[in-house]
Amino acid sequence: MAPGSPPVQEPFPISYVAGRYLLFDPPTVAYARRTHNVIGVLVGTIPNLSQQNVFLGIPLELQPEEARVLVEQGHAYVVDDAVVHREGFLEMSRDDRLSYLRDLDEQGAEMSREVVLRANERSEQVLWEKGLRPSKRGGDSTPKDVGSSLFDGDEPTVPAVKVPEKKLETTYITPTTSYPPLFKPQPSHAPGLPEVPKSFPLFRYLHTKGYFMMPGLRFGCHYSVYPGDPLRFHSHFLATGMGWDEEFDLLDIVGGGRLGTGVKKAYLIGGEERGGKKVEDTFTSPTPSASSWNPALRPNNKEKMKKARVEVEPVRAFSIEWAGL
Amino acid sequence: MSLTESAPPKPAPIQSLIARDSSPKTHDPALHSLALQIQHNLQYQHNWTTLHIHTHSPLTGALLPRPLLSGLPPHRLYVHPDEQIELLKEADRVRKVNKEGETGTLDVKAAPEPEWILPARLSEKWTLRRLAEVFDGVSKVPPKEDGKVGEMSKWRETKRVVLATVDTDSTVVYYIVQDGVVKPRQN
Repeated sequence: MAPGSPPVQEPFPISYVAGRYLLFDPPTVAYARRTHNVIGVLVGTIPNLSQQNVFLGIPLELQPEEARVLVEQGHAYVVDDAVVHREGFLEMSRDDRLSYLRDLDEQGAEMSREVVLRANERSEQVLWEKGLRPSKRGGDSTPKDVGSSLFDGDEPTVPAVKVPEKKLETTYITPTTSYPPLFKPQPSHAPGLPEVPKSFPLFRYLHTKGYFMMPGLRFGCHYSVYPGDPLRFHSHFLATGMGWDEEFDLLDIVGGGRLGTGVKKAYLIGGEERGGKKVEDTFTSPTPSASSWNPALRPNNKEKMKKARVEVEPVRAFSIEWAGL
Repeated sequence: MSLTESAPPKPAPIQSLIARDSSPKTHDPALHSLALQIQHNLQYQHNWTTLHIHTHSPLTGALLPRPLLSGLPPHRLYVHPDEQIELLKEADRVRKVNKEGETGTLDVKAAPEPEWILPARLSEKWTLRRLAEVFDGVSKVPPKEDGKVGEMSKWRETKRVVLATVDTDSTVVYYIVQDGVVKPRQN
C-alpha cells in the first residue's frame, strides 16, 4: 500500500463473478496480503492479445478458501456482482440516471473535441510543411487557437488548398467502472459463506497459525504452505486435507513424504477431529520454539487471531518426512 | 538322485523367528508377526538395539491399536532444525577453541535417541483417526526396560513415530511422522 493512500476500511467487499471471488481494488489487494495472509492470484490481462502480456494485474482471484476465511473472520463480505448491478441500475432514480447520462455525454463531447483538435493540428502541420500555408504561425498553434479558428472561421490566412472541415461527431462512451455510478455495495447483499472443498479445515487451521497458502498443484497436494510471504520464504509443507475417517493409502504417505523431503519440505496431512477428546490446547497453544521464526506467529498477532472467529472443530495434523533409513 | 527325495530347504530365519514366537497374543497374530518382521529388519539390516515390542500404552496401560516397537538407532535419526542450529553453533565453538580455524571440520555431535516404530503393511488403508489413536497411546519418548520414561531432550516437544511400511516383497521403508505442524529439516 502506498503511504499516501487511504486505509482500507473493513469489512471490504469481495466481488463474486461467475463463480470466482475477485478483488478489483489495488489497495485492498495489498491490504489482504499484508494483514490477512491472503495472496490469491492476479488474473487480469489486457483485453485483446491477452497472451502477449507477461505480467498480470487486477483483478485478484481468491481461492474459495481464502474468501471463506476472510468472510468468517469478519474482514470481508461477498457481493454477488450480477445482482448488485441489476438492482443498482434498475432501481436508480430518474434524476441520478439523467445526471449520469449527462455526465457520460459531456465526457463524450470532450473526447470529440479532442479528436477534432488533434486532426486540425495535423492538417495545419502538413499544409505548412508543403508550403501551402503562407506563414507558420510560430509556436502559437496551441490547441486552443486551432480550435477557436475552426469554430470562429475567421482565419485571416489565404489557403491555396481548401481543407475539408472536420465535423464534431459525438463519441459514445462505454463506461469501464460501475463504482461510480453505483455506490459501494453494503454487506446486506452478502450471499453467505463461500463454498469450499473438504480440505478447507486444514487451510483454516494453518491460516490461523499464520501460514500463507498457495495452490499445491506443483507438488500434487492441496496447498503449498509458506511460513511467511511467499516472496520472502520457501514453503515448509505440502499439505493435503482429508476427512477424519477418510481412508488413504500408505503409498500416498510414502509418495508425499519422499517428494517433500526431496525438496526440503515436509508432507502434511490433517483434518477436522471428529468425536475426539478435547484438543483445544493443541489448537490454540502457542508453539514456543516456533514463535520466533515466524513473524505472523508473534504475540501481537495471537491476540488478533483469537477474536472474531467462528466456532470450529479442532484440527489435527501430522507432518511426515523421510527417515533416511 | 531325484530331486523329490532331497530334504526340503530350511525355513528362512525370519520365518522361524515368527514361528518360534511365544509371547502372549494380545492382538491379531498377523500384527504380531508384522512387528516381529520389522524388528528383525531393524536389528539386522539397520543395526538398531534395545528393540522391544509394546502391546500396551505406557501412558494409560490400555491396549494399543497394534503392537508397536521401540528401539535405539545406531545414529541420530531425527534432528529438529532448531536443534541443528544449536549443534552447529556448538561445533563451531569447539572448533574455535581447538584453534583449527576454518580448515577444521565441524564436528556435530548428536547422540542417538530412542524412537517409537509403527509397523504397517502397504496394503492397509489408514485414516487420520487411526493415526491419532496410535499417537494418543504413545509417550514422547519410549519407556526404558524398567517401564520408566527416561529423561527427555528439550527439543522433543512433539510426539514422533517412525512409520515402517512393509511391502509384500519385504521391502521396508521408514518415514517419520510427527504429531502436529513441525517445520521440515534443513538438509
